Amino acid sequence: MQMLKVENLMVFFENALALNDFSMELDEGQIVGVIGSNSAGKTTLMNTLSGLILDMRIKEKRRGGERITIYGKIIYRGEDISNVPPSERVKKGIVLCRERHPVFGESSVVENLRIAGYLKSRGHIRKTIEYVFEVFPGLKRLRGRKAGFLSGGEQQMLAIGMALVAEPSLLLLDEPLLGLSPMMQNMLVESIKRLKSDSGMTVVLSEQFARPVLPMIDHGYIIENGMLTLSGTGQELMDNPEVKAAYFGV
Amino acid sequence: MLIGTLVYGFVNSAILALVAMGFNLTFGISGVANFAYGAVYIFSGFFAWILLNSAGLPYIVCVIGAIVGAGILGILMYYTVILRVKGIALSEVMATFGLGLAIMELFRYFDFVGFRYTLPIFFDGSLSMGEVYIDYQRLIIALIAIALTTFLYFFTRYTKIGLAFRAIAQDERTALTFGIESDRIGALSMAFGSALAAVAAIVILPLGTIAVEGGYEVLINALAVCIVGGLGSTVGILVASVLIGYAQTFTANYLEPHWMILVSLIAIAVILTIKPSGLFGKQKELEERV
Ligand SMILES: Nc1ncnc2c1ncn2[C@@H]1O[C@H](COP(=O)(O)OP(=O)(O)OP(=O)(O)O)[C@@H](O)[C@H]1O
Ligand SMILES: [Mg+2]
Repeated sequence: MQMLKVENLMVFFENALALNDFSMELDEGQIVGVIGSNSAGKTTLMNTLSGLILDMRIKEKRRGGERITIYGKIIYRGEDISNVPPSERVKKGIVLCRERHPVFGESSVVENLRIAGYLKSRGHIRKTIEYVFEVFPGLKRLRGRKAGFLSGGEQQMLAIGMALVAEPSLLLLDEPLLGLSPMMQNMLVESIKRLKSDSGMTVVLSEQFARPVLPMIDHGYIIENGMLTLSGTGQELMDNPEVKAAYFGV
Repeated sequence: MLIGTLVYGFVNSAILALVAMGFNLTFGISGVANFAYGAVYIFSGFFAWILLNSAGLPYIVCVIGAIVGAGILGILMYYTVILRVKGIALSEVMATFGLGLAIMELFRYFDFVGFRYTLPIFFDGSLSMGEVYIDYQRLIIALIAIALTTFLYFFTRYTKIGLAFRAIAQDERTALTFGIESDRIGALSMAFGSALAAVAAIVILPLGTIAVEGGYEVLINALAVCIVGGLGSTVGILVASVLIGYAQTFTANYLEPHWMILVSLIAIAVILTIKPSGLFGKQKELEERV
């Protein structure tokens, strides 16, 4: 069943076009990859889907600025959510894990997870924290430590764990593998697959490099300068010589 | 004499901590330096006085009314004024300071001046410790300061709103990805900060009269404590309250009572030249804000 449909999305920051006529579709239970190099527009896409850009625009307008313009439609489970604020989107199950593992550095690991459960009941929070510790066993022994003192990889696990506490149906992961060792990358890829098999979660993840993600995704989109240049199944993209040249690195 | 100075110095530190707590809370969470804080303080005092003397309500109802009233005033100020200028530090300061002036000077205009404007003390009497006498009201001030500090510590660690407060204070945009809205939390932080100002007013004002000048003094003291301690830092607030509190009391006892407020002003000037972010403040935050 179709879960998300993005129609002709355009995002301007002042006169710079960060997303140019971008469209995509995904079905429930799929893992979809968005692949592009630096400043291709991955983060802009993720922030538009989660509503952060809308929120930025509203706050800017309130102060009298008109820097951000958004065109296009986001249809989620048959409903146009283009003008739905981010907190409402979280309630509907669209949860974003921002790039560069954002955690609340002054708070402990458990506090971070509790903060993420802001919209959830205490019972649900307790249960999912246990689940997060099961998916990322390494976090459990760090539960009392300040998140700011975790390593980058540990922070990334925590950041994804936090998104899980918010109970996503559609999980948006912005460059989850950024800055991780190959071993850590494999471990995360396995965890993401596990989320899909455990609860049928739908995942959109963005990445600079195709190699670690293409084998796991059902469908991939290649984005350049805010524009969709190529899309296809993971296998199709893996076989494409252009993709190989541009996104497989050495 | 020295024991007495130490005891009264402690009470004075508690007064400063109480006065600074609300200002610090609002700033720590939403980044808004509420320069109308002193106005909220005396508003609470006059409001309690009106409920007591004009409406004739039981005192406990007046107390609750003043605290709730201050909270509502905080929310109103947030949505009608602060929200429009939020994020532009200079405009925030101008807007809240102007609002504060308007509120305070309106009280003066409507003749809220004179010795009849006082709030009742909670219990009459005093406690003797050796040759030092301390009245119950001052003991209550110290107790309330300790109780509120403890309460805030647990509140910000174990309740949903408290955790959301800390989340917004650290990273607004990430907090938003979990449905924590900065506008709502900002309004709540103003409500809490203002309610704390009201609590401070209710326990401290019975020591003297409610006067518009008191509002300015409270703002100066709150600023002094927060700047010396480091804006947003709870430990900093407590340490700065003790430092300035004792410095004021020693000055009053051994030099000249009128110079108490000078201590706060000098403390602001000194710390701004030596360590602008305050004793426990984060340099970066202050540079970004001020
Ligand atoms: N808040 C903003 N204001 C102005 N320009 C922006 C803003 N956010 C992004 N941009 C611009 O939009 C373009 C796309 O940026 P985006 O962050 O989406 O890229 P990205 O694919 O996530 O890159 P990276 O891999 O480096 O994270 C860039 O040219 C960037 O400079
Ligand atoms: Mg990015």
